[in-house]
Order: sequence, then C-alpha cells, then structure tokens
Amino acid sequence: MSMRFYPRLAVAMGQLFLVGLCLTACVQRNDLSTDDVQPQPFVSASGVDMVFLSGGTFMMGSNEGDDDERPLHQVILSPFVIDVHEVTHEMFARAELPNPSRWQDDPQKPVESVRWRDAKIYCNERSLQEGLEVCYDETTPGLPCDFKASGYRLPTEAEWEFACRAGSQGDYVCTTSDKLKSYAYYNANSDNQTQPVGTRKANRWGLFGMHGNVCEWCQDVYDPEYYQISPTLDPRGPSTSAGDVKRVIRGGSWKASVRMCRSSFRQGQRTGDTDACFSTDYCGFRCVRRMAIETWNLLQKNQVENEVTTPKANSSDSK
Amino acid sequence: MRLVCFLTVSIVLKVFTTTYADQPVNSTLAAQLAASSCKLVYESYTNNNWDLFVSRADTSERVNLTATMEQHELYPQVSPDGSRVCFVVDQGQGRQTIRSVWVMNIDGTDRTKVADHARQPCWNPDNKTILYLPQEYKKFNIADFFTKGIVYYNVDSKTSRPHLHSDKIHHLYNPCFAAHGKWIVATVHAGMGYKHAILLIEAEGPRIIDLQINGCRPCLSADGQRIAWGQDDHTIVVAELDVTTETPKIGKRIFHVRDKQNKIYHSDLSPDGEYISLSRGPDGKGDLSKIGTHEAACEMVGVYASNWNILVVPLSLTKSLDLNDAQPNDYFSITSDGNSNKEPDWFLSR
Repeated sequence: MSMRFYPRLAVAMGQLFLVGLCLTACVQRNDLSTDDVQPQPFVSASGVDMVFLSGGTFMMGSNEGDDDERPLHQVILSPFVIDVHEVTHEMFARAELPNPSRWQDDPQKPVESVRWRDAKIYCNERSLQEGLEVCYDETTPGLPCDFKASGYRLPTEAEWEFACRAGSQGDYVCTTSDKLKSYAYYNANSDNQTQPVGTRKANRWGLFGMHGNVCEWCQDVYDPEYYQISPTLDPRGPSTSAGDVKRVIRGGSWKASVRMCRSSFRQGQRTGDTDACFSTDYCGFRCVRRMAIETWNLLQKNQVENEVTTPKANSSDSK
Repeated sequence: MRLVCFLTVSIVLKVFTTTYADQPVNSTLAAQLAASSCKLVYESYTNNNWDLFVSRADTSERVNLTATMEQHELYPQVSPDGSRVCFVVDQGQGRQTIRSVWVMNIDGTDRTKVADHARQPCWNPDNKTILYLPQEYKKFNIADFFTKGIVYYNVDSKTSRPHLHSDKIHHLYNPCFAAHGKWIVATVHAGMGYKHAILLIEAEGPRIIDLQINGCRPCLSADGQRIAWGQDDHTIVVAELDVTTETPKIGKRIFHVRDKQNKIYHSDLSPDGEYISLSRGPDGKGDLSKIGTHEAACEMVGVYASNWNILVVPLSLTKSLDLNDAQPNDYFSITSDGNSNKEPDWFLSR
C-alpha cells in the first residue's frame, strides 16, 4: 500500500494543531481554580489598599436564584487588581471631584448617589494620578472603555462576582445568611444609612463590603438573559447599545434585604447620566485594574527595591 | 375658475396649518410681547460656539452680544436696571476647561473678567454687586453643584469679599437674590447637611431656611412676591413667597407649566410679572461632537442640548398649562432653531 500526500489535509491539520496549541496556552494561563488564587494585598501608587488576584476559573451565577442568574456557568478570568474597599468620601475628595453623597458625616463612608458616568470619571482621575493610561475616553460619547489600557476602570460583572465569592460557592461569603451581619451592612443592621468601610469582616481574599453598604456599579450593560450566551473567557457583558441603558449594580446596599446581598444577585440600574439631580443613595463602586502576572511581578520587584510608582503599561501588560 | 381658486386657497391653508401645527398661532400674544418693554437674553450654540443673544420679547431686534469664536459665553444674568450682564466663559476643552465669571455692558462693551474657576453669577438689587460661586476645586467638573462658598464682587471698585459664612456654604447652585437683597435663594445638592433642597440664605447673616419644596433652580420675581422653580424635569411651578417677613415661606401655588414629553427648565419671571420664560427640549446627555461642550444632563450649563428652545408663557390666562395640549396664545416661541437655546433671563429695556 503506497502512502499518498494530501497538501490541503496537511495544512488543515497544521492549522488545527496551532489552534489547539493556542487554546491550551490560553487555558494554561487561566486554569487556576479559585482554590489556587493567591490574593496579594498591596498599596497602589496613589495610596489605595488593593488586592492582586491572579485570575482563574469559577462558577458564576446560580441555578437556584432568580431567572437572570441562570444558568450557573463556568467563567475564566485574567488576573486583575481590585480595591479592598468601596470608594470612600476621602478618596473622592482626593480626586477633587464633587461628592454627591447623601451622608457626608464620615470620610470613611462609601460614596453613594454616584452616576455611572461619574464613577468612570473617578477611575480616570486615579489613572492620571498614577501616570497610567485612562480606560475611559472622555472625548467620545458614552465614555467607551478601553480594556487594554493600564488604568483603572469599573469591574466587569464577572470580575465583581469572582472577587465577591473569593472561592465560596454558596449565596454568601459566609456559610449562612445568619452570619451575614458580621460581613455586611444591609437593612437588618445598617441603621438606614451607609456605614464606614472596613468595619465588618473581610472575605477570604481580604475584600471588605462586597455584600451590602452600597451597591457597586459594574462595567456591563444589564441584560437578564446574558448568561445564556456569555463567553467563558473574560466576559464583558452585552455589547453597548445606544441610549441610557441599564448597567449592572451588584452586592446589595444598606437598604437591601438579605436576599439582595447574595453573591449572584443581579440588578440593572439606570445610569443617571441624563439626570442632573441623580440621588439614588445606594449606588457606589470600587475600581479594578487589569494586571498581567509579569506586570505584577515587576511591580513587586520595584516595590522591593523601593522604587517610586506603579510601572506604566508595557508590552508584557498586553494580552 | 371658482374651483381653481377654492383649491388654491385650500392648499395654502393646508400648508400654513401644517407648518405651524406644532406651535400655537399666537398673534395676540405676539402683539402683546411686541408692546412689552421687557427683553430677553439667553445662550445659544451657533457656529461651533456658545454665544449670548438678546432680543425683544417678540424675538425682534435679535443681536449676538458676544460673537467670540475663541470663547464660549453662557449663563447670562442682567442687572436689575438693565445696564450690565454677568455671565460665565468656558475656555479650553474637556477636563482642561477653565470656567470664569465675567461682566460687560448690555451692549457687549467693556468686558471684564471677575474671577476664574467660578460660576453661576447673579446680581444684587443694588446693581453694583455680583454674587458668584467659586468652584469646589480648580480642576473643571461639569456638575452644577461643584461649588464651595459665596463671593460678592463690586463692579465699580472691582473688589471681592466672601459671604460672612462662606466657609459653611457648600454645593449650592443657581443662586438668585431677593428683591430687597436680604435673601439669596439657591439649590443645594449633597451639601450643608441636605440631600437636595431649595434654600433661602441670609445675604449678610447666618440664617438658612429650607423652603421645603421639591425641585431645583429657583428664581424670584422682581417684586419679591413670587418664586418659580422646576419641581421635576417636566413641571415648573410659580408660587407666592413673601420674603419681607422674618420667616419667609412658600404660599399658594399660582401657576404650573407641564410637559410630559420634553424637559422644561431654567424658568425666569419677567420684571413686569406678566410672563415666565423657560427652556424646553428632549432628554439627552449632550453632543460631544460640538466643540466646547460636555457630556451630562442636557439642562446643565455647558452641555449641548439638541432641539432645545426658549419659550414664553403668559401668567395671566390660566392656572396651569400643559405644553403638549397648548392652544394659540398659550405660549410664544423665542427660538425655534433648536441650537441648545437655554438659560433665558428677562430684563427691562432701558
């Protein structure tokens, strides 16, 4: 039996091999389960407490929750850093932005009544303070997000839930709702107002207030059916549609029920961008910043050597 | 031949009624306004530039007061005697914008800068003193309540002094003096312990009175007997307010303007008490393709408000007016080009 050579088949096989190789490499970079995540606390160049999360795989959503939480599905996330606390009045003032909050009696309370747009402006301010590339283009309508930029932005809904769960798979970071009062301010213990950040327990990864106090703006457009079609790797929500669409807020607030504080609970909220008197006194946020492992290692090295600031974006920071 | 004439007249009538179907045919009101000694100044965006325009109340004698391509003039406020106008100027773009307060004669001459990083000026009834609100921080922000303190500027001596309790004043916007100069009315947002309120602030003292009304952007009548404000995006209210007593409070509501479809904002009562002017247009958050504009709620100063126009409503006819169901003579359009016409201010022609 003679062997015959088929050039087209060879090319196709080669292409298949290359695709497989790429996919394998991709998964290898993100195949950490949440048990493998080693959260690394650090202080950003502008003095904000943050945690580096090396990314990984987790199960997002819930098959037992509301319709918009279904199905429970696997998500793989790239590494990122996230604020330990919700953005406070003190942090907002440091950025020299007008604080729209209802309760201004304590600079350590989280800001609220923040429009989605103003949360993005804050992210840009912090990026500029640290010499980073801004994520939000303020010269383009809607301030579109450049996810490749090195600066701060709002978390995607997936990043938020990943950080909130901190490896947990139930409704809360604690095992039962009875223990939630130790971790969160919500309608059972908030005294009907926001409370200073960091005064309840942190989750396993050192993040405070992921449940309660203020709902946290996410980057994603809210679509109750998005989980049925969302990609596995770094989902960023439905593509932006025109108009004042609802954006995702997460975590519940000082006025939320215990059920609304669940890790998988989803809410859509009007951005308030066309409302001069926006005063939805439960909308706050925290910031994230993408950070490749290589950049994190470089950052650590620089800090060890007592050098000054976070490095600007470089090629190793691009994916 | 008769048939042809009939058809011609019918077609002309049809065209006429179609053209003006969206606006009441208000020849009587136009005639009244033509006879009025009141004029209006307002901001408009033309030729890639914010400018200030002045016209008679029937829209005649319209003049561009500024016509400066390198600067954006906004938020005009005319002195009670009609001789001068203070306003804000935006220079630069985006977060590099510098907003400043200026004053000039009503014919556009003798233009003088009052202060940088300042906004929302208004006149004391003495015709010499401008009140303005310093920005909370020098860095620009579009938010209307981005202010801290109150400063008085004397246009004759060119000197400034802070309000006696300026350090306690935070996040005010849209201030307006009462007729005798004793009180200032303004909106506060997330400041001074208020979530959102309309306040009376003693001009030379510590007293602050919450008028206990929902809404924003109040203005007072020249005689000090009435107040108008935006109750929400779609309602403007006129009510009695006696500021001569020691404890001023809102009295009877005497007029409502409503528009369910559009936003209505920037109310101003005419000096003769006959009319209220306002800006009207669709919801939106600006058009960043327009040079020198910002993205935010379109009623805010510096945001391009597409298809916004200024109109005048007589206060004498009814107790309320629904602009979606208006009849001839219910209102009169001062502008119709939709070029972000906002912030009208009445004054008496000298």
